[in-house]
Amino acid sequence: MRRKGILAIVVIVLAAGLQLYQPERKNPPSNPAASFEAVARPAPELADVLRRACYDCHSNETKWPWYSRVSPVSWLIARDVQRGRAHLNFSEWNRLSPQAAQQKLVEACEEVRAGQMPLALYRWFHPEARLAATEVDRICAASKAP
Amino acid sequence: MRRALIAMVLWMLALGTDCGRKPSAAVDPAMLKVFEPLPEVVVASYGSPSEELIALGRMLYYDPRLSKSQQISCNTCHDLNKYGVDNEPVSDGHKGQKGDRNSPTVYNAAAQFAQFWDGRAADVEEQAKGPVLNPVEMAMPSDKLVIAVLRSIPEYVDAFRRAFPKEKDPVNIDNMARAIGAFERGLLTPARWDKFLKGDAHALTFEEKAGLNAFLDVGCQVCHSGALLGGNMFQKLGLMKPYPDQSDPGRYGITKNEADRMVFKVPLLRNVEKTAPYFHNGKVATLEQAVQEMADYQLGRTLSRKETEAIIAFLKSLTGEIPLDYIKQPELPKSTPRTPKPDLSD
Repeated sequence: MRRKGILAIVVIVLAAGLQLYQPERKNPPSNPAASFEAVARPAPELADVLRRACYDCHSNETKWPWYSRVSPVSWLIARDVQRGRAHLNFSEWNRLSPQAAQQKLVEACEEVRAGQMPLALYRWFHPEARLAATEVDRICAASKAP
Repeated sequence: MRRALIAMVLWMLALGTDCGRKPSAAVDPAMLKVFEPLPEVVVASYGSPSEELIALGRMLYYDPRLSKSQQISCNTCHDLNKYGVDNEPVSDGHKGQKGDRNSPTVYNAAAQFAQFWDGRAADVEEQAKGPVLNPVEMAMPSDKLVIAVLRSIPEYVDAFRRAFPKEKDPVNIDNMARAIGAFERGLLTPARWDKFLKGDAHALTFEEKAGLNAFLDVGCQVCHSGALLGGNMFQKLGLMKPYPDQSDPGRYGITKNEADRMVFKVPLLRNVEKTAPYFHNGKVATLEQAVQEMADYQLGRTLSRKETEAIIAFLKSLTGEIPLDYIKQPELPKSTPRTPKPDLSD
């Protein structure tokens, strides 16, 4: 019993210590004129879907949840966001040539169509990010636009 | 709250799922959609260039009289026999002055969406004027001197008239750039990679295909995609980890927008095996180091030696053939007594 108590204290101290190490959660500076919405001028319905389901990881407008401040989960979320932005960033759409932009939308369509994106864990945690078939169709239609 | 705690645990369990894949030579065709074969022609906004325009551009490309010292031509830093580069970290310009950035290859460059490391020129025609007038490169003090040189050489005047038959006074700086750009649009180097993309599964070796899979697994194609494996977007250098050399702010220097700090055009990877040293500052001497640093700074991945070697094997399949007939240096027209003399002053 005493051993269990010591173990619990050690775990609590370690967990508390971990909180001292936090990743950077700052959203990078954004130029509204550089965004997908400014450059590609999508229909408001499409912009809304993307904002709801994709922007936390694929834009510079991440809404960081409370648990993103708890180590070690904070590190994993920060890593996912960083990787997400590296792959596709709707806040930096003006960095892409028209062909590259189209290709990114094609990939986005394939990912959401296959249910790979948003990530299952994220969907579970963010019910608003679960895409209806019509919303998937909307993203895919955008990927086919000239 | 309970849901959040379970999610936290699951998130942690998800860690590490992308590790430990073994190389394979079976390439998933769906993964190749981000690439395209090299185009046969790179069309200009004005249409297809005439043979006369290309011939004029070829002469101008090789002519050192477009520089103040009359010692430096386009080919000095973008040597067409060396895959369009000089293999120096930064090039020597007028009176040995060093440039700020590594001279990128001119091969296949016309098919990029923008020119220069910071993308400040939209196409090769706009780009061609830059180095001629840059004080540390070819250092011509003004358009006027460039035009004075060209007008002093009757063969050039005739060549401009043939290239621009509808214009009364065709010898001007814009037409010079258009001619050089026209020539550069033909500097294409199709490779075995293109045959592979067009369906010849045997065009790449086992090692190269395994290397392609490593390239895709690591995520290099996120930026190095399209017909050139690059040259179709800007990206921040140091996406996952700050790049140590912050002395060149990249595109920020043009836009003055904080979001563009350390943002550069993604360089194309065709012939990358031949175009060392690497990066905008030319500070990376080997392809091995370049691949490892890119994975580290851009993707947050530490590559094993095997992964690095595999990716390099694939990159070597992008080396194309230099179009020897197309780049054959023409005899340059002779200067006349009216031609301004070389100027070796600062």
